[in-house]
Amino acid sequence: MQKAQDAQLITRIAAQDQAALRGLYARHQARVFRFLLRLVRQEAIAEELTNEVFMEAWRHAASFEGKSSAATWLLSIAHHRAVSSLRRRREQSWNEEEAAEIADAEDDPEVQLQKTDKASLLRRCLEALSPEHREVIDLVYYHEMSIGEVSSIVGIPESTVKTRMFYARKRMSELLKTAGVDRGWP
Amino acid sequence: MSEDETTFSEREEIEMLLPWYVGGTLDATDRDRVERYLAHHPEVRRQLDLIREERHETIMANEALPTTPAGALDRLLASLPVDRPHLWRRLLDGEGLRAVALLFSQSAPRSVRFAAYVAAVLLLAQGVAIGAFMLKANDGAYQTAAGRDGSAGGPSFFIAFTDAASSAAVTGLLQDVDARIVDGPKPGGIYRIQLRTGEASPSAEEALRRRLAERRDVVRLVLPAKE
Repeated sequence: MQKAQDAQLITRIAAQDQAALRGLYARHQARVFRFLLRLVRQEAIAEELTNEVFMEAWRHAASFEGKSSAATWLLSIAHHRAVSSLRRRREQSWNEEEAAEIADAEDDPEVQLQKTDKASLLRRCLEALSPEHREVIDLVYYHEMSIGEVSSIVGIPESTVKTRMFYARKRMSELLKTAGVDRGWP
Repeated sequence: MSEDETTFSEREEIEMLLPWYVGGTLDATDRDRVERYLAHHPEVRRQLDLIREERHETIMANEALPTTPAGALDRLLASLPVDRPHLWRRLLDGEGLRAVALLFSQSAPRSVRFAAYVAAVLLLAQGVAIGAFMLKANDGAYQTAAGRDGSAGGPSFFIAFTDAASSAAVTGLLQDVDARIVDGPKPGGIYRIQLRTGEASPSAEEALRRRLAERRDVVRLVLPAKE
């Protein structure tokens, strides 16, 4: 139902129907914006990239074949926009970002207390992952994408999707272990 | 070492599939493979709890994020290269209504808040539009707010639809009264509709207006639009 409605909207966008773009935006802006914000970490840049994503959807709606879902299509555009933006900014390397320190001697008591909470620690570890690891985790856990869909969005083989997710989870466990939480895996 | 150069044990291969198994997005072949393995290696089930924990915190972290700032959609629309004649032709066919209905069809809390914000802005704009309409009607220098389209055909009305009105309900209503949208949406979500049939007497026109107004599930506002 959702997929059919999205496909209908995209067909109308291909005919330059602005109301249809409003509809598609209303349905997917939160997903796209959050996906981008998690990668680029700055709201202003995430908003700019979100607009670029929907602008590209406006321009290239006619090329949407409906083989994938609209969400997969939009996130695929968003992925490429985010990668370009990160490379352009050179603030962090897409592939080689150093994981942030979990422990920080300067933390105030409240933060120290939060760090003892396992859930908070887990979230801090998620934040400390490299963008590519964080991206695959978000796509699988939050956006509920299948292996094939992640492959399509990120532009990597399905086998790499599986190993990337595996290593992302391993890295998260290592970071937790460093912070004093041994999950017993790997 | 790259992500693809390692040879993995069967257990590791199964572990790789578990995030999708937990999320219910694994295809049938892989799901059967995982379930067969879990049946013989119950100790691996502990992994499922770890994954649920990771999944929960990932969802929480994402849901804590904002959505696009107010005005972002307006900025996007303002930057679009619009093919106006084509767009208007489609709007005049009434297809634009579907997107209006879709805008209010999301159920996520943030989306609802966004929709409520948009609705509030539209209602405010509608008040201004109606006020201007009444002032013009009273000073004898009336001119339709919706423009000059639709001069041929039957009586016309300004109409606004309820937030809950589905596109099917709107289309059905228009078919019931044999009308079409000739202009809009204007500020406040107001459209101008016109009957396809010829002129009607004032009493017949008022009867039709009342008939439209009675459809409160679909119609929020209906006013005669005199030429």
